[in-house]
Amino acid sequence: MIGALLYLRLTSLRNLVVFRVGRLRQPKYLVGTAVAIAYFYFVLQQRLAMPGAPAAASAPAIADTRMIGMAFICVGLSALALIRVAFAWIAPAEKPALRFSEAEIAFLFPAPITRRALIHFRLLSAQFAILFTSVLMAFFFNRFGYAGGNRALQAVGWWVVLSTFDLHLNGTKLTLARLREKASGFLLWRAAAVAAIALYVLAVAWSAAAFASASPPGNLAGAREAERFIPGLLGSSPLHWLILPFRIAFGPYSAAGAREFGVAMIPALLLLALHYYWVSSTEASFEEGSIALAEKRTAAKAAAQRGDLPAAGSSRPKGRAGPFPLSPRGPPEIAFLWKNLLSMRSSLLNRRTALLFLWIILCVSLVLRPLLAEYARSNRAEAYGLLVVALCCIVAAYTLFVGPQIARQDLRNDLPNADILKTYPIEGWRLALGELLAPTAVLSLVLWFCILVSTFAVDPKGEAGWLTSGVRVTIVVCLGSAAPLLCFMQLIVPNAIMVLLPAWYQASRSRGAGIEMFGQRLIFTIAQFLLALLVALPAACAAALIFFSFQWVFGVGPAIALASAAVLTVLASEAAVGLWWLGWRFEKFDLSTESK
Amino acid sequence: MIEVEALTKRYGAFTAVRNLSFSVRPGEVLGLVGPNGAGKTSTLRCLSGVIPASAGSIRIAGHDLAADPVAAKRALAFFPDEPRLFEYLTVRQHLAFVARIYGVARYEELARPLLEELELVEKADVLPGELSRGMKQKLVIACGLLHSPSVIFFDEPLTGLDPLGIRRMKDSIMRRARDGASIVLSSHLLHLLEEICTHVLILKKGDKVADGTIAEVAAQFSNGEAGVNLEEVFIRATGGSET
Ligand SMILES: Nc1ncnc2c1ncn2[C@@H]1O[C@H](COP(=O)(O)OP(=O)(O)OP(=O)(O)O)[C@@H](O)[C@H]1O
Ligand SMILES: [Mg+2]
Repeated sequence: MIGALLYLRLTSLRNLVVFRVGRLRQPKYLVGTAVAIAYFYFVLQQRLAMPGAPAAASAPAIADTRMIGMAFICVGLSALALIRVAFAWIAPAEKPALRFSEAEIAFLFPAPITRRALIHFRLLSAQFAILFTSVLMAFFFNRFGYAGGNRALQAVGWWVVLSTFDLHLNGTKLTLARLREKASGFLLWRAAAVAAIALYVLAVAWSAAAFASASPPGNLAGAREAERFIPGLLGSSPLHWLILPFRIAFGPYSAAGAREFGVAMIPALLLLALHYYWVSSTEASFEEGSIALAEKRTAAKAAAQRGDLPAAGSSRPKGRAGPFPLSPRGPPEIAFLWKNLLSMRSSLLNRRTALLFLWIILCVSLVLRPLLAEYARSNRAEAYGLLVVALCCIVAAYTLFVGPQIARQDLRNDLPNADILKTYPIEGWRLALGELLAPTAVLSLVLWFCILVSTFAVDPKGEAGWLTSGVRVTIVVCLGSAAPLLCFMQLIVPNAIMVLLPAWYQASRSRGAGIEMFGQRLIFTIAQFLLALLVALPAACAAALIFFSFQWVFGVGPAIALASAAVLTVLASEAAVGLWWLGWRFEKFDLSTESK
Repeated sequence: MIEVEALTKRYGAFTAVRNLSFSVRPGEVLGLVGPNGAGKTSTLRCLSGVIPASAGSIRIAGHDLAADPVAAKRALAFFPDEPRLFEYLTVRQHLAFVARIYGVARYEELARPLLEELELVEKADVLPGELSRGMKQKLVIACGLLHSPSVIFFDEPLTGLDPLGIRRMKDSIMRRARDGASIVLSSHLLHLLEEICTHVLILKKGDKVADGTIAEVAAQFSNGEAGVNLEEVFIRATGGSET
């Protein structure tokens, strides 16, 4: 049975590759792939050229930074894993069963295959991605890797980490499915699990804090001090035991040599086997749940194909009132703003994202508390201000660079409706403008908030003479008026990518892992950064020139105003060109030729 | 009024529509027929400005589609074969949205009878996900007719409708034509086309095989026989084996 499933996986993979290679006949995809390969080649060259990790003693300076970096990776990944698992408990998906593709459900679930085989199939499918990612990670994070600098061992280390996590997540999902099936006490169980995780996090935080206050670190920026502090922290008594599971999982990866690696493998494999046992022994209940689920899904699918209404009771988004009353007269761009705000509300503001947001806030505040306490002790009021400014900068950077990927209620969301949009009596650029308004508005709001808060958080006592309230207001106004334009430009990039490479764009929207996705995301991100630079450079140059030449004549405030007028002019013309181009491309755009 | 001159549509090296010319006057209904892959959808998508034509000129209500697309598009409505709707807009919100796009000032007065005619009143505050396929199609039609277009293109308008829906659709098309609209529709349901259409255009592999009123086209392929129906004409014209 597993043979047939393996066949399915492998043939699909092969056909996918054949299809992708065939598509390279289109020049734009060829160029894109060439860029990806060039990037990988470049990175690999660098990585391979780097000498394998020398023994820690012979190069202490390198070893220090490596050790710190690795500690950060391990702690960071552990935290992420913990968050993910907690999230699974807090807001379990509607269908907590294992993820199968539509076709897999249609073919495999009614087929005479045991559920155990199905689980194995699911685990096996994941292994393709995990193996691949492991190899990739071994190359990319080689700088921090130990395992005697041996890449193969590192890859195995990564494999252990990723597999353990995958199994744990699947086990959680299956357990949740079983609990849900039993119906009684589902909420209670979940509350208990969440409480346990929270307690665990608190215990870890407390024991870390206890160690830190018992033997306070000196200047952590110094590698030597960190080298002393971090192992001490990780080895301190309660913490040492609390993080044992993570230490086991990361053991092989962080082993300092081949021998240590071998020793660390034993408990790690044991942990993995334990997880495997957990997942496959939860199978009995997965059986019933998944039959029901499969039937329900197949029925729903068949009904959808017949054109019947979906069964009642399935949770679907509800119609909502518009964000503002839309009068039939006026510029049509506003109609798109109205429509996209509506869909934003429905698709972004749901229970899941709200919970995710709350969770992030909780984590951030947990992390920030000791920092704040430290600053309060040092009794430097401006330190608070700097902290706030730093936070605002982080949020603003995220808004500018990640925001456009999240707020996608623009042309990207309307891709299936491209045919309809093109019959509207509107010029391409106006349509593009209308479509981009909603995400621009939302991202700008976030930026404005950051600008406002950070401008008044700097130097609260007013010690710097030049930073008068007039100057502050000028800064707020100037940055504030540049913010929408920046957001707008940043949103043009992904929309342009979609119009240029719709096949890639669609592929990157569907869930999945692997080099394709990795390469594409990479290119998208690089394109976004490069374009941001390209856009910001002329504006920044003009601004700097004007500011420094006029500052002496008119004073700081007016100089800032003049400089930002220049920035606005440059940005606005850039946005206009981008918009015109996007509209022009969209008029030429034909989705049906792209899916071939 | 639709005037098409030497329309050609190429996809890469493949020519889907070759050198097609015809015109549809107000009040006329042109049936576009042809085997699968003949180029009907390609033609309609070019005519409605969804994809640019590779060559040739298209005039919609006197406006050249390539030179003045906005004016031309203001006069037309296009209904693709698959109903396409916005996921998060209710039925009523769809109408409000479209009204703003086309600047239909008193759309509410128009929308109510349209919704009633299409039996969508109960579903007015429902998202498209909860509509059946036929209902979706009706909503698409309501949206498209809101601005009273003088040129209408239908791609397979009758598939997915129930018998009553088909009857209503037929009546609606013929009424629009009587009111002076120029209509082009593609369909494989030839007996229905015979009832609705004043003219037919037969396409085969991108080439025009025949064009004219139904009587003219029938005469062209009747070989002197009387009472040849459109189905027989279609099969003879497109080189079906049964003759
Ligand atoms: N996007 C495209 N890229 C390449 N070829 C295409 C594309 N769209 C259509 N074609 C080709 O153009 C020809 C005409 O297709 P079209 O969809 O216009 O046919 P049709 O008459 O509407 O057929 P049907 O009756 O099946 O709807 C077909 O051979 C088709 O394969
Ligand atoms: Mg067609």
